[in-house]
Amino acid sequence: MNTSTGKGTKRIGSRGYLNYAVAFAFATFTFGALDAGKALAQTLSAEASTEKATKSEQWIHVRVESKETGGETVRVNVPVDMAAKVLPAIHKGKLQDGRVHIDNAHMDDVDFPALLDAVRTAKDGEYVTVQSKENNVRVAKSGGFLFVNVTDKEHAGKNGGSESRVEVKVPMKVVDALFSAGKDELDVVAALHALSGHGDMDLVTVKDQDNTVRVWIDSKNVSN
Amino acid sequence: MLLIAKAALGLSATLAVATAYTFHEGVIRVDVDEHRSGGSHVHFWMPATVVGFGMHVAPRHAMEKAARQTREVLPAIRLAAKELRNYPDAVLVEVTQEEQHVRVATEHGKLRVDVDGNDEKVHVVLPLEAIQDVTGRLEELNGGV
Repeated sequence: MNTSTGKGTKRIGSRGYLNYAVAFAFATFTFGALDAGKALAQTLSAEASTEKATKSEQWIHVRVESKETGGETVRVNVPVDMAAKVLPAIHKGKLQDGRVHIDNAHMDDVDFPALLDAVRTAKDGEYVTVQSKENNVRVAKSGGFLFVNVTDKEHAGKNGGSESRVEVKVPMKVVDALFSAGKDELDVVAALHALSGHGDMDLVTVKDQDNTVRVWIDSKNVSN
Repeated sequence: MLLIAKAALGLSATLAVATAYTFHEGVIRVDVDEHRSGGSHVHFWMPATVVGFGMHVAPRHAMEKAARQTREVLPAIRLAAKELRNYPDAVLVEVTQEEQHVRVATEHGKLRVDVDGNDEKVHVVLPLEAIQDVTGRLEELNGGV
């Protein structure tokens, strides 16, 4: 009887061990999988943050503010590197493979590469200065930057408002990259790559009585 | 009793794994409210995985038509969705008018589009991973990727 009970106990014990073993295996698998998942997530997260850290943090911002009735505000914030990667995938109209085709008719009489080379190799200074009743125009090169300033006084006089001003400041490296594709094309992607190497700066500012436009780059992902 | 417990354990585990898989790509959320008489009100959310599954079971000719119609923009959208996942949350586009406010932003790996107007409000949240998957599959139908 005892033996039988003992055998019975032994059998029950075996089944118990089996259950424990199954439960243990399941728990090990489950938590192991969770741990593996966690580890994988941590690895991926670490890789992602490493990638984030190594990526250029430069953002290009565009802000357009209209002062007209019911005036609107448009703000665009895009990572420079992302723009450089996405642009080549757009094939629409004159934008192909990250390059903008320029109409030949306006460029035939101008040897732009030669002109650009002349500006690049020349010393800093003012190249164009026009002062008239209608407009003031100034094109200059200083400290590796190309400056273009235009003041429209005629428009202001007719409308009785303030004069409109356009100010462009572009690094020469960016200008070089922009025109590196040849005579009839602007290489926007190359320009963005060149731009991503620069620090915070204003690129374009347009101010008139109705609108304000500002294009700039910095390391912030907000435009305020 | 033990058998029932084992079955319950197996079922729970299966359910947990299925739920985890279903939601691993996040949730798509769409809210549309038209504030006018007879205006529609649409509110729904669904796991992004369902979209991928839906693309497999949808009629192929319909998917090919959709792929053809969006051929030009698909690579750009796929690349943008892929790249945006590597950047911190940001407001990408914001347009503020007297009667309307449009905002496109990234939030926790999702693209959020909000349109708030006097007549209607539209809020859409799409996981970037899902956008990447969908555009990738459509590109495959176009013979790309």
